[in-house]
Amino acid sequence: MAVAAPAPSSTPTRSRDARTWVGVLFGVSLVVLAAVSLFIGASSDASLTGVIAGDDGSLFLLAASRLPRTVALILAGAALGIAGLIMQMLVRNKFVEPSTTGVTEFAGLGMLTAMVFWPGMALPLRMTLVALFALAGTWFFLRIIRFVPVRQLVLVPLVGIMLGGVVGAVTTFFAYRLDLLQSLGQWSQGSFANVMRGRYEFLWIAALMVVIAWIAADRFSVIGLGEEFATNLGLNYRRVVAIGMVIIAVITACVLVTAGVLPFLGLVVPNIVSLIIGDNVRRAIPWVAGLGSVFVLACDIVARVIRFPYEIPLSVVVGIVGAGLFLWLLLRRRARAH
Amino acid sequence: MNKIRPLGTLALLAASGLVLSGCAGTADGADNADASAEATAETVELTFEYNTAGAEEEPVYEETTVEVPKNPENVVIFDMASLDTWGALGGEVAGAPLESVPEYLEDVLAEDAINAGSLFEADLLEIEASDPDLIIVAGRSAALYQDLSEIAPTVDLSSQGSFEDTLERNVNFIGEVLGAEDEAQAALDELSAGIEEARAVTADIGTGLSVMVSGDSVSALKPANGDFSGRNLRGGLVYDVFGVEPVLDDIEEATHGEPVSFEFLLEHDPDYLFVTDRNAATDAEGEQAAEVVLDNEIVHQTTAWQNDQVVYLDPTAWYIVFGGIETTQIMIDDILSITAE
Repeated sequence: MAVAAPAPSSTPTRSRDARTWVGVLFGVSLVVLAAVSLFIGASSDASLTGVIAGDDGSLFLLAASRLPRTVALILAGAALGIAGLIMQMLVRNKFVEPSTTGVTEFAGLGMLTAMVFWPGMALPLRMTLVALFALAGTWFFLRIIRFVPVRQLVLVPLVGIMLGGVVGAVTTFFAYRLDLLQSLGQWSQGSFANVMRGRYEFLWIAALMVVIAWIAADRFSVIGLGEEFATNLGLNYRRVVAIGMVIIAVITACVLVTAGVLPFLGLVVPNIVSLIIGDNVRRAIPWVAGLGSVFVLACDIVARVIRFPYEIPLSVVVGIVGAGLFLWLLLRRRARAH
Repeated sequence: MNKIRPLGTLALLAASGLVLSGCAGTADGADNADASAEATAETVELTFEYNTAGAEEEPVYEETTVEVPKNPENVVIFDMASLDTWGALGGEVAGAPLESVPEYLEDVLAEDAINAGSLFEADLLEIEASDPDLIIVAGRSAALYQDLSEIAPTVDLSSQGSFEDTLERNVNFIGEVLGAEDEAQAALDELSAGIEEARAVTADIGTGLSVMVSGDSVSALKPANGDFSGRNLRGGLVYDVFGVEPVLDDIEEATHGEPVSFEFLLEHDPDYLFVTDRNAATDAEGEQAAEVVLDNEIVHQTTAWQNDQVVYLDPTAWYIVFGGIETTQIMIDDILSITAE
């Protein structure tokens, strides 16, 4: 199933050596940021010296609070990046990801539905329901953009954002009528402040989706070439699209239930990676996962440090940085097109 | 969240009349019967500082004087604390945001009480149709003053000064309107004795931290430090009114207190944790109750948890109403319960 990388829209000009160097940089940043993340927190009990000395309090905090948070950030960042990458392959558009295609809003509607109709629902069931809503959202979006010409690059995310706006408005309306607006705000705001042992484990399911994405990577590369081309190569187009949809939906649901919405991440990370190494999905997956983790870890550190010992919501930092990068990518493309 | 307001207003207007037009708690008009019989053209004057700025802006106060009829028959009250006091002093209410009236105050409502809207929004058509003699707003509903004052004499009983100052002014005013000055004074005396008693209890309990649990996140609330505006007032009640010594005094405040991690609780480790369960206050079913959120291995390490000194405050009293005669008594009892155990 070896398929040549599709002609990238922006041919990477860097040499192999330069790419290796960037890869090493990502790897080192990941390790450094993870280490820094472990030792930032409201409690001074979990100091590096304390951990080395084997102090009980330090070790407890490290195991119960710090490690889960850092792991959760790495998993969420990697998974969201992959969800964006897969979505971009399915749609054949560089400007989509769950939060620009209405998938996140559908998931939010699922969350509200669970809260209203089955308030006492066990968490795994609630997650499943949210994932089903996200799946319906992905399906719905894919149906709609069939009517949009593939070449209309900016129209596709625009349609997605409008779809998201409509679904979001419906959710907000019901939340308003049912006095759940503030709760809606609570969980649509991405934050890892309450992540601790026993509260982030869903993200391992998201990690499993990353693995599945990796296994099916080449198929997604082919899908990215279009339905006709993929079918001509003997690929079961619909099945691969279905797998992609499930991956996107499950990742969106896991992150939403655990931490909330982290906008733009799935969009900017795959785009930056594509600038560096091109569009081969198999090659891109570890890069996207790594850069996604680095991005979220860095933003979370900023969110925690800026008003120490209080925190600002991570989604605010991710949103600002991500929106800036999104704009840059958009303008950069426009500039080239002319 | 402001952007949804127009939509909400529309919805509310559209749905008016359909929802809850005749569904009120039971009340007997006995108390009110002789009150209305002696209703004359007498009026009571109230001067208050009316905030002309928007809800999220720096307040701009304008002194306003309103004349209201004594013993009004038909009263619409948006502010739950005023509704509480109104009922405690023998009045009956003809209209209120029915869905927001806490259970323990339902007997204040007239049998055919109209639904006046929500805590934040007024159903102007319904209110106008009911032709009220007096409308009371405060706090959450203060922004409705302008619109409502065109319908009937309206007073804004929003907090001015400390919790006690506001309570005293409002109870005295309502007492005067209802012709129940003596009852008002008696209630105030009883409450201030109760607050004194509670302060005596909190004087020896060490440090405390007031937190709000909303969704599954925890926010730290701070003392008002002299600034009794809006949320500051509510967040600081545990410290400012009931004298609990804050475990740290520079707790900053965002919209609903400052979000903190569980580690924060362990690090500052107050002797007592006072918990307001916002989920329960706003009936957000399906949200985890505060008990569940706090029941985790990090909080288990804190002094407050280990000594069983986590105090769950009555969420409706402390978050929704916070003021009024009956509610203040509930708040006092909450604090006194520390020693009862």
